Amino acid sequence: MDPFLLTVWVVRLLFLALLYLFLFRIARALVGDLRAAAREPGAELGRLVVVSSPGGEPEEGTSLALDAIATIGRDVNNAIVVEDQFVSAEHAILTFRGRAWYVEDLGSTNGTFVNGAPVTEVTPLGYGDVIQVGQVRLRLERPRPARSRR
Amino acid sequence: MTAAAPGLPAILGPIRPRPRWRETRLLLIVAGAVIVGSVSLALTSQVADPGESHGLSLANPVHVAVYLGLLAIAHVILILSGRRMDEVLLPTAGMLGGISLLLMERLPQTQVVQSIGPWRLGLGDVQLAWLILSFGLATALAITVRSDSWLRLYKYTWAAAGVALLLATFVFGDDINGQRLSLTIGPVSGQPAELLKVILVVFLAGYLSENRPLLVEESTRVGPIALPPLPFLAPMAAMWAIALGIVVMQRDLGAALLFFTVFLCLLYIATGRVGYVVVGVLLFLAGAYLMYLIVPTVQTRVDIWADPFKDPSGSGYQIVQSLFAFGRGGLLGTGLGAGLPTVDGNLPIPAVHTDFPLAALGEELGLVGVTAILGLFLVLIERGLRIAASAADEFRSLLAAGLALVIGTQAFIIAAGNLKLIPLTGITLPFISYGGSSLLLNGIIIGFLLALSDRGVEPPPPPKPRGRLARLTGRVSRLETPAAGRAPIPPSPARRPDADR
Repeated sequence: MDPFLLTVWVVRLLFLALLYLFLFRIARALVGDLRAAAREPGAELGRLVVVSSPGGEPEEGTSLALDAIATIGRDVNNAIVVEDQFVSAEHAILTFRGRAWYVEDLGSTNGTFVNGAPVTEVTPLGYGDVIQVGQVRLRLERPRPARSRR
Repeated sequence: MTAAAPGLPAILGPIRPRPRWRETRLLLIVAGAVIVGSVSLALTSQVADPGESHGLSLANPVHVAVYLGLLAIAHVILILSGRRMDEVLLPTAGMLGGISLLLMERLPQTQVVQSIGPWRLGLGDVQLAWLILSFGLATALAITVRSDSWLRLYKYTWAAAGVALLLATFVFGDDINGQRLSLTIGPVSGQPAELLKVILVVFLAGYLSENRPLLVEESTRVGPIALPPLPFLAPMAAMWAIALGIVVMQRDLGAALLFFTVFLCLLYIATGRVGYVVVGVLLFLAGAYLMYLIVPTVQTRVDIWADPFKDPSGSGYQIVQSLFAFGRGGLLGTGLGAGLPTVDGNLPIPAVHTDFPLAALGEELGLVGVTAILGLFLVLIERGLRIAASAADEFRSLLAAGLALVIGTQAFIIAAGNLKLIPLTGITLPFISYGGSSLLLNGIIIGFLLALSDRGVEPPPPPKPRGRLARLTGRVSRLETPAAGRAPIPPSPARRPDADR
């Protein structure tokens, strides 16, 4: 076979091969990311970030991982203990049902607020919403993504 | 756009470069592929004239050098910015752009000729210029956009601007091929519908993220389908009407299909309710049938799709030639530059550089090459959805998903049109088709996605109280304080220390 034509075909196939090499490298990176996400210990469903806390307990800026059911209150038996004199012992409860978060007030003295509106019944929450109990404001955030391998 | 974008931190603050090794490695492969592709083009042209001396060379070394230099500069800027941004988006877009450049080099340069001063720019030159602007825009957005409040707080303003743009195109636009899509203001001409795609996503992300909790609730039941409170269905009806309006007024089937698809996808992502999608698809089918009955353009397109061989040299010519091109390509293709034999000095497929680039690539790279290109689009969508899944709040999540879906849906619609899977609609293949507006839009999308993927970006602004909308359903009681404004702190006198410990 004519060596020139052979070269032409080798170059053409090399181009296609490089396209697939590129895709293969990306696929490997993506699978790596997914594996890392799956390995993440104790998969959490959401996080509460403390936006403001005059009492200092919990500290402002703290980020708390949430299980499917998280109670908020002053009593030490709560999942999230809030040391604030305007917070009841059992103040509010956050629940993850299906694919969304809900908040319910547990008959607290001073009420629970979502983005400034009082919670009167089970209220759906979106990520980024701010919950207020007493003087403490907490922002609901997405669970932390897995650290990608570098 | 500069309102909330602080200056370049690389200039103002101390430079803390952060290496992006994954991106570097992928970009090296892109560089290799573009160079090999260019060599392949040059060799193929030597096969055509056997008299020339044979040897390895690049088809257009200046273009290749400029393009690869552009990617390298974008890469270095991203490294210097020190952000933790996605490292797959830029190489993937770069690979698609490189394929586009090779294709435009290879098509007859007389397809597009622009004269600027003493220079006459052909198809490849103009495409390269647009690619430079597109990647420049993407890089600039990626490193300057730090806050999204200028998008989320003014969503109705953006929507109004978008509708105004659409109306302006309708009133003052130029007719090209029976479609009124481009608008000329002074020396600048462009297709506003492209920009509208981003505006639509911004508006939908803002609207859906604000009303999601209410959209998820069921209060109306129509047979087996549970519907949300009726006032919240209004935007769905509005979107439907706008899509139909675009079809009737602008004869732009592709844009209408794209808008409605992206809308339904975002609605589903925001609510997770299949009922909406069912209702939306039914609405779409009803609307499509209505359009088929009253709009002649739609009728022609559907008839051509149903049987292009009824009139293979007339109305069905374009799609028939496209199918032949895919057929000639076979598994491995004829090789870059070796396909598309000209007929009487004309290309076999009209508008190959805008509407049918995939057919040309299908002929020259074969099934294997087209599969790889579709794979690249899949990668873009996957990255977009990953960024959406780890975004800080609903708005950013929907924005990222919507932007990725604009690219993905567009690629699907035009690829399926070229393959006669669905009726053909004039829409561009992202990053590959020739066209300034389209390339700039893709640049904007990649820029936003990069900015959204940054892990260290500032937190979203506090959500607005739900008062106004909740009142519509009468769910939130009278207890709501009128003063519950942006700072959600209830008046302190109402509070008393809790003693039930």
